[in-house]
Amino acid sequence: MRIASKLSGIELSDWTGDREQLGTFWRDRPIVLVFIRHFG
Amino acid sequence: MRDRIDDIRARGAELVIVGNGAQNFAAAFREDFELDCPILVDPELRAYRAAGLRRGRVELLSPRLPLNALRALRSGSRQTGVQGDPWQLGGVFVIRPGGHLMYRYVSREAGDHPPVEEILAALEEEAKPIQEASPTSGAQVWLGRALSRVVDPFVVSSFDRTGFRIHSLTFRSEDLDVDLSGRRCLVTGANSGIGYETALALADLGAEVVLLCRNPERGEQAAERVRQQTGSSRVSLEIVDMSDLASVRAAAARLASAPVDVLVHNAGVLPDERAETREGLELTLATHVVGPFLLTRLLQSSLEKSPYGRVIWVSSGGMYTRRLNLEDPNWTRRDYDGVAAYAETKRAQVVLSELWAEELGGSPIVVNAMHPGWADTPSVKSSLPRFHRVMRNILRTPAEGADTVVWLAACPGARQSTGRFFFDRQERRTHLLPFTRESEEDRRALWKLCEQLSSEPSR
Repeated sequence: MRIASKLSGIELSDWTGDREQLGTFWRDRPIVLVFIRHFG
Repeated sequence: MRDRIDDIRARGAELVIVGNGAQNFAAAFREDFELDCPILVDPELRAYRAAGLRRGRVELLSPRLPLNALRALRSGSRQTGVQGDPWQLGGVFVIRPGGHLMYRYVSREAGDHPPVEEILAALEEEAKPIQEASPTSGAQVWLGRALSRVVDPFVVSSFDRTGFRIHSLTFRSEDLDVDLSGRRCLVTGANSGIGYETALALADLGAEVVLLCRNPERGEQAAERVRQQTGSSRVSLEIVDMSDLASVRAAAARLASAPVDVLVHNAGVLPDERAETREGLELTLATHVVGPFLLTRLLQSSLEKSPYGRVIWVSSGGMYTRRLNLEDPNWTRRDYDGVAAYAETKRAQVVLSELWAEELGGSPIVVNAMHPGWADTPSVKSSLPRFHRVMRNILRTPAEGADTVVWLAACPGARQSTGRFFFDRQERRTHLLPFTRESEEDRRALWKLCEQLSSEPSR
């Protein structure tokens, strides 16, 4: 299964608490998706 | 990376950051680094796991670590303390509309970052998507087999996510490098958990997928999510209650008009108290055994029209603890025990899978059963709350639980087996305890019982 498909449906909160499915971020434009090791 | 955000945007792209700490950490991170891009939090590490990022103590111990730290200091980065999972590593992905993966970098150790120029190159117009499947190396398979010998004798370390990771070292990535265009796959119980992930993966491989769900609203939401995530329009919903034989007959009549390539019996229930269907059957017996038996029978000719026909029974590792029960399958003479009823019917599914394989021996249809290990699904959470609470940190993802279902449904090589039982793409024994073995007489009696209970009521 493609990575984008695996990630697409995962819903995460942003820093304000609003929830968004990851797939919506690349629906209309490319994204650089950076997973950081930790905040700090 | 934050210094190059303008370069990223100049190429029409956006930077999206995912961290594994809490929301307030993300807010502070955003303020400290003056970032105006989306910053998301993933404290449960779902996206980290789905992306295949590394996590563990060993990964953080590397001779290159001091060098990476020095490099980070020289570039102006100041670590203020770990806010999130200290053992989790990161990575970078470039994804284009349509889900095309243009770039992937999985950090090998703390401070291991990809060169920004590589990321910017992946954003250029002429960049091509990368091949996602990489051939499995011989060393990896050897390691997977060696580690499997260590973990497999123990249920916990085999059924949990560590078990999946170890077993998956032996998976051949090319097994699922298939195009299922033109195939029609039916998945019961597909609105969440393993059924949903199976439907998603099959649609992603190009198949037409029909989600067979009991609840119209949740079923439609799931079908829409699959459409959105895969971009496929060949995803539909069929309302069926697998415990209700009239509902199964009605759904089968609608579905039988076209060939069926794959039928996945996944729908499941685990009630606390004995419940009876309107046909007078105990709920788990009806949902796991009689309903699927009837659906298979009614779709047999549609499955035979396909040169690829496959039937897959999603059983459970819990079946290892129980023997086939034919003395009181309807739980009318025993104190009800939901977990035991679940395990007994899951045992019956494995036997039925073998019996259907014999029944369809002369046809192109193959029939196999599997168990998914321990996966973190909504059903496990609601039906086994204590188990979920204790084990949640070591449970597999639903996608990991669904992997063997997808493999059985899609891999060309998996068609060579019929009447077998699989776990993590490997054939497994169906009995671990001697007292669970059934006699040939019991097996025949189960078939007869299913025929009897699923027969059309006389008018």
